Amino acid sequence: MSEAPARPSTKQSVAAASREAFAAWIDEAPEGRVFGQVLIRRTSEGGYSLRQRDDAGAAKLVVNEEPREAREISKLTEWGEYRPLKSSPNLRRGWELHVKDARGLAVAMNYLYPAAQVHWYLYREGSLEVTSYRENAARQSGIYKRIQRLSDEGVQNAARACCEDVVCLKKALWNVDEGTPLAMDRGDGEIPCPEPCSVFVSFARRVRLFEREDRRDLDEIGLSPSEKEDLAALVEAASAGNVEYAREAEFEEPLNERRLRYRRLTLLPKLRSGRGPAGRPRD
Amino acid sequence: MKALVIVGHGSHLNEDSSLPVYEHAARIRERFGDEYDEVVECFWKEEPSMRHVLDTVESEDVFVVPAFISEGYFTQQVIPRELGLAGPVTNKGGKTIRYAGPLGTFEGMPDVILERVEDLLRDKEVPPGRTALVLLGHGTDLNKSSGGVIYLNAGRIRERGLYDVVAEGFLDQEPEIGEVVENVEAENVILIPVFIAEGWHTRETIPEDLGLTGEVTVKATATGEKTIYYGAPVGTHPSMAALIVARARETERETEVVRSAG
Repeated sequence: MSEAPARPSTKQSVAAASREAFAAWIDEAPEGRVFGQVLIRRTSEGGYSLRQRDDAGAAKLVVNEEPREAREISKLTEWGEYRPLKSSPNLRRGWELHVKDARGLAVAMNYLYPAAQVHWYLYREGSLEVTSYRENAARQSGIYKRIQRLSDEGVQNAARACCEDVVCLKKALWNVDEGTPLAMDRGDGEIPCPEPCSVFVSFARRVRLFEREDRRDLDEIGLSPSEKEDLAALVEAASAGNVEYAREAEFEEPLNERRLRYRRLTLLPKLRSGRGPAGRPRD
Repeated sequence: MKALVIVGHGSHLNEDSSLPVYEHAARIRERFGDEYDEVVECFWKEEPSMRHVLDTVESEDVFVVPAFISEGYFTQQVIPRELGLAGPVTNKGGKTIRYAGPLGTFEGMPDVILERVEDLLRDKEVPPGRTALVLLGHGTDLNKSSGGVIYLNAGRIRERGLYDVVAEGFLDQEPEIGEVVENVEAENVILIPVFIAEGWHTRETIPEDLGLTGEVTVKATATGEKTIYYGAPVGTHPSMAALIVARARETERETEVVRSAG
């Protein structure tokens, strides 16, 4: 087997190039930059200060100087819940991170928004590789193989439910496939999303399970078993005055936020008009 | 530059799953900082994903070690696919990526298991009588290698003649752990879960199914009264950090041999 020709060792890695470009981007904005929910400012000592954007003017923050502390900061929400998706708009407040240089900034950013800095850089350079839903689905195996059968409409609704800025601050660049763009508000944030993430894949699997029901198990008023399960859970929780969301990526639970957002898109039209999803008469 | 990339399963639901990967990475940064310019974590279910982690690595020489116990679906299919690896050595994007096998089958694993036992028994007085070491694996009827790694380690420890009995038990395949503990012929049973992380099984299902009340439980069984010592999972032991490094070094040696032979 012949070896690949050696690359010139002087070539800078994208990781290093993105680190420098990101720091330069911060440096040129005296008022600082917002990336996701983080406000980053250059300090007078030549380092960087990071904090939750809503704490822009806050005085009493817990200050830390270890960039890897960013992992602890990004792990749990304000309410102590685990954050499986770092780009969810639920980064807690009350902290400040002082890092001494661009390297420290990159370490911290990679825990706050993993791989986002390099994606930001590649996107600006026009060289970020984007993977469509269908390409991503085609390589799935095991319990996720079934997402290959999710309809285009299912992908669209799943993306609206799972990826809009209200639930994820990344800007989705991917499409259903090359010829089928996502029909959604892709978001205004700085963090590009080049490919459906594992949380989306897991959500797509759940939506595919809903789709299968839709075809097989509708009752006389057109509701599927899982739709009825969700409605019952909602009525039960609301009547007790206690509508508490399930964990963020617990999609098998009726009161999951993304699952309910999906119901708003697909169940609400049915309930309101007696018609099928997206207002079309059921056939 | 040289990077070590540790791949964990991760979880959408709790922080337990990725914790040992982060902790071992931190230990390696501290103790083996001279050897690796970068030590990076990535996951199947968490971020950074395997799909994108290599873009965040500056080094040209990359060693990928899966924080998985057994050879199987993840180590053979998912991880190579997601990282875009072609085999033990992959050249791409200006990087040479060497891919190591799982940790559980590595020759250093029995030592970590025995260290876990030592930690468990420290400051405890083991009553007289026969002592059994029981290695507990998840196991699955779907994949033989999942259980195989438990037999492999039990065999290696058995050869050392340290215990009266070394036995294997599983959650999802025969022999079932409850029966093994019930029937093993020993008054003292040391039970070590060969798992990567703490989780639902180690914290809840195993203690519940076996009627364990903590690290030490005295229990009447069909074969008499037993004192059961229940250890934390092997994968969270601090020595796993050195095992990960040893695994990466071994990969370097193996691929050098392949290269000089080819």
